[in-house]
This record gives sequence, C-alpha cells and structure tokens, in this order.
Amino acid sequence: MGEGKNWHDKYYKLMLIIPALLLLFSLYSIYSFYNETGDIFEKDISLTGGTAVTINGEVQIAELKDFLFSKNIDDISTREISDLRTGTELAVIIETKLSPEEIQPILEEFLGYGLTSENSSIEFTGDALSQGFYQQLGIALIIAFVMMSLVIFVIFRTFIPSAAVIISAITDITMTLAVLDLFEVRISNAGIVALLMLIGYSVDSDILLTTRALKSKTGSINSRLFQAFKTGMTMTLTSIAAVAAALLIIYSFSPVLTQIFSIVLIGLGFDLLNTWITNVGILKWYIERRKIN
Amino acid sequence: MAKLTFRLWVLIIVLVLSLLAISPSFQKGVIVKSVSINSSSYEAGLRGGDVIKSINGEVINTKEDYGRVINGIFENVANETKITIRTENKDIILFTDQIPEITVKDIPSTKVKAGLDLQGGARALIKPTENVASDQINDLVLVTRNRLNVFGLSDMAVRAVSDLEGNHFMVVEVAGATPSDLKELLEKQGKFEAKVGNVSVFTGGEEDIADVCRNDASCAGIRGCYPSDGGGYFCNFAFTVFLTESAAEKHAEVTKNLTLDDTGKYLSEKLYLYVDDIEEDELLIGAGLKGQVTTQIAIQGSGQGDTQEEAFNNAKSSMNKLQTILVTGSLPFSLEIVKLDTISPMLGNKFTYYLFLAGFAAIILVSLIIFISYKNFKISLAVLLTSFSEVFIILGFAALMKWNLDLPSIAGILIAIGTGVDQQIIIVDESKRKEDMSLIQKLKRALFIIAGAYFTSLVALIPLWWVGAGLLKGFVFTTIAGITIGVLITRPAFADIIKKIEK
Repeated sequence: MGEGKNWHDKYYKLMLIIPALLLLFSLYSIYSFYNETGDIFEKDISLTGGTAVTINGEVQIAELKDFLFSKNIDDISTREISDLRTGTELAVIIETKLSPEEIQPILEEFLGYGLTSENSSIEFTGDALSQGFYQQLGIALIIAFVMMSLVIFVIFRTFIPSAAVIISAITDITMTLAVLDLFEVRISNAGIVALLMLIGYSVDSDILLTTRALKSKTGSINSRLFQAFKTGMTMTLTSIAAVAAALLIIYSFSPVLTQIFSIVLIGLGFDLLNTWITNVGILKWYIERRKIN
Repeated sequence: MAKLTFRLWVLIIVLVLSLLAISPSFQKGVIVKSVSINSSSYEAGLRGGDVIKSINGEVINTKEDYGRVINGIFENVANETKITIRTENKDIILFTDQIPEITVKDIPSTKVKAGLDLQGGARALIKPTENVASDQINDLVLVTRNRLNVFGLSDMAVRAVSDLEGNHFMVVEVAGATPSDLKELLEKQGKFEAKVGNVSVFTGGEEDIADVCRNDASCAGIRGCYPSDGGGYFCNFAFTVFLTESAAEKHAEVTKNLTLDDTGKYLSEKLYLYVDDIEEDELLIGAGLKGQVTTQIAIQGSGQGDTQEEAFNNAKSSMNKLQTILVTGSLPFSLEIVKLDTISPMLGNKFTYYLFLAGFAAIILVSLIIFISYKNFKISLAVLLTSFSEVFIILGFAALMKWNLDLPSIAGILIAIGTGVDQQIIIVDESKRKEDMSLIQKLKRALFIIAGAYFTSLVALIPLWWVGAGLLKGFVFTTIAGITIGVLITRPAFADIIKKIEK
C-alpha cells in the first residue's frame, strides 16, 4: 500500500474518538437525568396524563400565572401562540396535571367569561392511556430497531458494515435525546415519533455510503467515500434547510410541529457527524483490514 | 420534443386520478351539520348532510349568508313566521318563532378532509373499565353509533381500536362544533326502554333483559323469503329476547287488559322501543302473548327489496339494529373516558395557511440549493415538480381513502417529502458519476439504494400503527403512502426525467 497516504487515511481512526466521546457524554447525561428524575427524559402531559387548555385571544400570561399560584396550582406550564407576521398573541396554551373539570372553573374565574368550544380547546389525556402510550412507544421503538436491523442485514449481508449503519442510527437518537435532556425539553408523543423518524433520515445516507463503498468497483476507496460524502452532504443539508425553514414558519404557531421539526433538525445535525465520521470510519477500517487479510 | 416514457405516463395518469379524487367543488350553498332532534326543522324533514341553497328566496352561498339571512328574518318578528328552506332536492317549510336549531358549514372546496386539529371538533377515546373481548367492543360501537345518530350528527365517526397491549377502545370523533353533552352521552351506555302504550314494560340492563339472542341460528335469523304481491320480495326475521322473571310479570300485567286489533292476530297496543327517550321502533305484539308470564319473547319483523338478496340484506340489517337497541344499556361493563379533546375551529384556517406556507418555503428552498449545487436549472425544476406532484398524489390518495388529515398526518407528508428529496439527490448524483457503467446501470443502483432506504423506513413505521390506541395512525398512513408513492411512481419517473436531461 504505502503510497500517498492522505490526511484521512492517517487520522480517520483517531477521528472516531470524537463521536465516541460525544456518545459517552450523551449516555452519561441521560443516565444522570434518569437518576435525578427517574426517567430518561421529561414527559409532557400527552405522556403523563393531564389537561391542555388553549384559550383563543389575548391573555395576560404573567397575571394568569400569579393567579394560579395564588390558588396553589404550581404544576403548570404555559405557551403562547402568535401570528408570524404581526406578532400578536393569538392564543395561550395552559398545561396542567389537573382534570378539565378542575382547571376550567379556575381559568373562567380569572378570565371573567366561560370557556366554550368556540373560544377554547380542551385536550385531556387520562393516566391509563398516557401510561400505555409511553410503554407502547418504547415497544414500538424496539420493534422498529429490530426490524430495521434485519432489513439492513438482508441488504448488505455482511456483519460489520450493517452494524455500522445501525450504530450510526442508534447514536443519532441517543445524542439527540441527550440534547433534549440538557435543555429539559418536555417531550410529547409526537416528539417520540420524531425520534423514531430519525431512523429513516439516518439510514438514507448510511445506505448510500455503504452501497457506494462496498458495491462499486470504480476508483479508490477514498474517491468512492468522497463521492458519497458529496451526495450525502447535499442530501442532509437540503433536509436541514427545509426543516429549518418549516420550523421558522411554524414556530410561533404549533407546539406539536415545532417539537417534531426541532428534534429532526437536531438529529440531522448529529447525523452529519455519525455518518461521515462514525460510519465512514468503521467502514474504512473494515475495508482496509479485509484487504490486508 | 422527446417522447414520454412509460414511467412518465404512469406519473401523469396518477396525477390526473389524484385531481379527480381531490376534485375541487364549485358548488354553492351550506351543508347542514346537525339538526336538533324534536326541533321543528327536524320534524319538517331537514337532516344532517342536506345542502341549503336558499332561504325565503334569498340565495345562500356561504355560512355568513346563512347567518345574515336567518338573523334578518328573526330580527323584528315576534310571532310565528314562515320560512322556506330550499335544499338541493326538497323545499322545507317551517312555521316558527325560533331560530332553527341547526348548525351549518360551508361546502368544502375539495374532497380532502381536514381532521379535528384543523377544523375543530371533539374526540373521545373510551375504554371499558375491565378487559373485554373484541365482539363486546363492537357491540358498544354499534350501540353508541345508534345513539349518536339520533342526535342527527352528520360528521361523526365511531370505531373500535386496539393497541399493542391488546386493550380495546372505542373512538368517537365529531367534526365541527361539538355538542356540549357529548361527555355525558358517552360516559353512560345509553338508556333503553320498552313501553306498551305509555306504560314502561322493561328497560335495558341486566335487571330486565337477561340476554338477547344474536349470532345463534337456533334463536335468531332470517326465517324465510317470499315474493310480495306488488312485485319484489320480503324476508321475515325473528330473534328471541330473554326477559328476567320480574320483567316477564310486568309484561303480563300490562298486556292482560288489552284488546285485539282488527286482524285478531295482534294486540291493540304496540310495543314501542325508546333509546335515550327517543322512539326508535315499534313492534306488533302477538295475540298469544296477552297476559302471559313469559321470559322468552320473539321479536319479529321483515325487510323488503326488489330482489330476494336485497330483501334478505334489509331484513338482516333491521334485525341487527333492533338487537343493538335491545342490548343498549345491558353491556356488562362500565366505561371510562381516557381521552377527551374538544378543539376550537377558530385557529384552523390560519393553521392550514401556515402549513402550506411552511411546505412551500421548504420545497422552494430545496430547489434553490439544488440549483446552486448542480448549476442546472432543469434538474432543479424537476426536483420541484416531482416534490409537488408527490404532495398532490398523497392528498389525492387521502381523499380517495376518505382519510381525515390531522396534525400527525401532515407531519407525515412533510417527512415523506423530505426523504423524497434526499432520494432524488441520490438519483441525480448516481447518474452523474464517472464510472464504467451505463446510465441505466447507474440508475438501477440508485433505485437499489432507494429501495433499501424505503424498506427500512417502512418496517420502522409499521409498529407505530397500533401504538396508543391508534392516535398516531395519521402519521403512519401518510408517511407510508408518501414513501410508497415515491418508490413506485415518482422516483422511477424522476429517474427517466434525469435520463433525458443527462443525455
């Protein structure tokens, strides 16, 4: 071999330390979050059970909070929905563990008018359902990973390259979750679905990379990897641009979509790292060892 | 001009079919969403789903027109006034001093249905407090549907769902404005009462009705089909209802003083069946039952039709309906509302606008990036057009399946478009690679990568279908529809477009 080692040949194994450290750090912060709170992330009321009341129109949020505190209701969170162009407040969302029957009269007392289906939305999730929901999302995530791994193994029929694709997807999700924990984001059921969808976005570029590296015969391994890198970067960057644009527009309006897009955006960022350092590193290492033996 | 390939033809045909499925409507008027039962409008024959064209000769095009005209009529009238409501196929005349107790909505401009998150409405997820078998849940669904129908709601869906852990639920969705008593209505199973004349004979529940024979040919079924005198056929059905001892005694008490009717075969009073205090059906009582203490009563009836098959089916559905009514209130479990959402329709329009804006901005931005990286206007345009056709086909498919597009469904569309663009980039890049392969071989490999990515996404999505009593079905539905349409239709067509551009 000897001739013309470029910087990547020299350093790609060393570069694997970056994602490895990040992964360790992520696992550590998820673990410490678990120790503190008893769960690996903070669940919102769609997963713990509770009520979300959306009141259309302008509401003085600070005063509302003071009022609720004076009633000894402190476990609430509020969010504002505003018009993108004018910035005026369109509605406010109040989330609480209380049942609709308990919170509605209190809110009506503050507002001075009754809440009807015209001026408000009330979403209630019971404990029984949210518990089941949470557990089943966990089961779905596991089934999804097992099935996905099977498909990947069927496609490539070699252990290490397939494992690299799966590791990269798992790492994407783990790192994203760690960021969500760091910012103490309350994750909804939609958020978990977004985490699951990272699998889809993640394997796209990984399958491209692995196919180019293993099934193509033209050019050196480095040039094949570099070609794949160019394609993959265009893919991920367009996705990032599209999601960021959508997020910007929807940000003030829909908490559900905001969470989905934010999670996909964070995940795509980590996917750049995990595809082009983690997966490339493992794959290149595998190809070089196979050539030596 | 280059010839269109087979795959491009497929894309064009599917696009046309999608347009037909979405089929924008230019019809004018307002649709009646609900009519209060026992109101004068209901008695005059107005029903949910009717399209109001004019009122007292004034043309009604929108909901606003309706409000203006109705308020105009009642503004300065204190006593009964005549209102002529013209619908598509009938004239309804009311004499009333009250605003008609109906709710209306504009005629939707397309057949794409907006879900509750977008157009407002109520959704309840109801779980029996103990574990039940799936046929019991189906009973509950039938009973509930029957009871809600009585309310004259047109945009309503009741169905059974189950989740990954095998729990059974019932979902009730009411679109548009929500009846405030929905919660009360759902938490109770419904009240069934049978009366002879004005006297209550038995009510639903285990106290009076021990069992209703269903799905057992020995005590329930169609008992024969015959040609009718006036042409056509009729089929008779019969099934047994088992009463408790006390109900049987009450029945004997009430019927013993009745006389026979003109034919001599039946009693002079009928048996009236009420659900939630509203009369649902009436039955003749056989002369032999007069004053008898009997715990088994046979309920008989018939169905008619032009053909024997039609008569048979009508008889069967009448029988099922009666059985359901009799079961009402006697299901052996109580209910718990595990999720109840009432969503205001106010923010819906703005929301749809933002969603379109977000989708539009994302696709334009992506085309721009592709233009910059390939410096090729044609490729950029092809990506733009393919993405838009994909959205269009997904919407067409959703309209065809009568799928309600809720928030998760829309997230699914965006995800599908996102992966779609990624795969188009793979196609472009594969075709541009300097390799000792023909263009066709390169495109084949691109489609191999795409198929691989497709199957991994597919298997990751499938388990979500059953999670949390199907609340995420919308997401799974549109994402799978989107990526499948991509793999089967738009991606191959896009590959052909690229072939033409690269040549």
